[in-house]
Amino acid sequence: MLVAGDPFELAAYREVVEASGLAVRLIEVTERDELIARLSSSIAGGEPPDLFLLNYRYHSQFMATGAVAPMQPFVDRSEILAEGDFYPRVLDVFREDGALTCLPQNAATLVVYVNERLFSSAGVPLPAAEWMWDEMVGRAQLLTRDLDGDGVVDVHGLGVEPEIIRIAPLVWSVGSELVDRENEPTRFALANPVAVSAVQAFLDLRSRFEVVPTDEEAESQDLESRFLAGRIAMLIESRKVVPSFRTIESFEWDVAPLPPIGDPANVLHSDAYCLTSASDHKEEAFRFVEFALGPEGQRILSEAGRIVPVRPDIAESEAFLDPQEAPASSQVFLDQLATTRALPRIAAWPEIEDAANALVEEAFYDPVGGAEAGELVLALIAETRPLFGRQG
Amino acid sequence: MEREHRSLWLLAAPFLIGVVVLVAAPALLTVVMSTFEWDLVSRPRFVGVANFSELLKDDIFKISLRNSLWYVAVSVPLKLVGALCLALLLHRRARTGGAARGAVVLPTAIPDAAWALVWLWILNPLAGPLNLTLQTLGLPTPAWLTQPGAARWGVVLIGALQLGEGFLIALAARRGVPRHLHEAAEAVGAGPWSRFAQITVPLMAPALLLVACRDAVASFQATFVPALLVTGGGPPPHATTFLPLFVYRNAFEYLRYGYAAAATVVMIVVSASIVWLMIRIVDRWRGGLVEPVPVG
Repeated sequence: MLVAGDPFELAAYREVVEASGLAVRLIEVTERDELIARLSSSIAGGEPPDLFLLNYRYHSQFMATGAVAPMQPFVDRSEILAEGDFYPRVLDVFREDGALTCLPQNAATLVVYVNERLFSSAGVPLPAAEWMWDEMVGRAQLLTRDLDGDGVVDVHGLGVEPEIIRIAPLVWSVGSELVDRENEPTRFALANPVAVSAVQAFLDLRSRFEVVPTDEEAESQDLESRFLAGRIAMLIESRKVVPSFRTIESFEWDVAPLPPIGDPANVLHSDAYCLTSASDHKEEAFRFVEFALGPEGQRILSEAGRIVPVRPDIAESEAFLDPQEAPASSQVFLDQLATTRALPRIAAWPEIEDAANALVEEAFYDPVGGAEAGELVLALIAETRPLFGRQG
Repeated sequence: MEREHRSLWLLAAPFLIGVVVLVAAPALLTVVMSTFEWDLVSRPRFVGVANFSELLKDDIFKISLRNSLWYVAVSVPLKLVGALCLALLLHRRARTGGAARGAVVLPTAIPDAAWALVWLWILNPLAGPLNLTLQTLGLPTPAWLTQPGAARWGVVLIGALQLGEGFLIALAARRGVPRHLHEAAEAVGAGPWSRFAQITVPLMAPALLLVACRDAVASFQATFVPALLVTGGGPPPHATTFLPLFVYRNAFEYLRYGYAAAATVVMIVVSASIVWLMIRIVDRWRGGLVEPVPVG
């Protein structure tokens, strides 16, 4: 099985493999890019992995080529897994013409990680269960502080990666759409006042309110490390940082919902197991999937902190909601599922996302200041339009 | 004589086989692949020159090509002059000479990925030793990883110290310059600069040309690891996206192997053109140096 992940994540997969008692050889890589490269070249070389685990945003390029064996017949025959075991909202993301292509292993959403010590030392109230984007920005302004008076900000109120997948929930939150057609998109659909206002709210975090680290500061120390070092009060991230955050001993931390501008909205972060068409061991590989997505496999990964389980029976159990394990408010991840949406599943999406992220990053860290969302939106539409048009 | 020829072919055979199997055949396949649309998984589709037409319209490709040409134009002379100066400085046998020559070669022996990661720390805009030193000296501290111009120079800097191979060739060439020529020139009153320009450089020229050609070809590829690991091809807009990174992303991330092959073909053609141009320039220069002696 081919998997990508940080050391915490890979250790958890090793544990699942060991617990399964099956003869599974893990092929470990550290980055998603590397996984895609190995996957495509091994398929071309006639020696594909039997199974791979990949975020749904990158599935379509393999689906389109017939490299993935649909999972539906295996699920239908299974005596261990049933469709009813999964959150339907997440499972539906992996259907093509109603049939399951791959099987999700997690159901993460974006949340706000909160350094409680920085909140209390600045006298700022912790986020409420229902809070709005403006309230988060207001708190971030109070938490952005130069502690030693040398003119350099020591603690930033917020950290967020300048990426299109971070902007998407804001756009949905104001009632707009990210792309023109959900199933067969032809362009970004951001050229309207409400979408532009959402994009502007995102850009304002740096250019107007200056509550997030500058480009130089973010390059100097990445956001996850800054949070670990107590230099960011809030961080917008998915579940993936929890294993490393559990090593924090110097302060208490928790999670809060991603605050909306209008209606609650969130973006799905989910990886799924896929069988390769050319595999000679599909049945055996599916035996492992049955274990990994069964109660025991999901419990192991859940206790490692890495995943929001895709099975309600595990997600709503102490394996995930254990109050003794940080974050204490893990329920937030589950509460947000009802308003979570998926990004487009098209073969060119990885390239579209890369192109969009370059533009978003440039505007977000605009050295001149006063980045204009309208200009960014026009550039996003113009530069990605040919990529959308390349759909087969 | 025939036996000697056979021995030469036998000696060269492993290298020739290596070149055919590892260089010529893949290059030929790349040319073929550039006329197909292929994701390595489904059946390839013949598209003729469509990939090349698309490259002409692709802004990121144009930026990558421009960045790569800029890198070659800056990096090759810099490394050549560096290798030459160090060879001139360190060719004499001295007590610390061996250690100094070892120090020059060492960065080339370090694996590229490890070297790039060291530079990720060195170029850290706020906590890196380079900017801290510049700050202590009261000099400007470039934002190496976030400003387009500084980031490009950062990539040049990473490669500039990996000049060990060029240095070794230049060192051997300098040691090959007969001492008596310098002594004779000195005896007729030639100064150090004149001896350098009229004797050392012309005699070292073939070796330096070899170094320059090799660096010009290697420079197109040398940007890959630093651009991937240190700058990520950024900062936006594609400031350090060089051709190899463009090829890598299209092939391995976007599964557009035919398109990436077309970009590779362009890279090969541009590399060959640069080498051809350099050989022509040096030939003319050497022709100008050696004035034909009139007969009769």
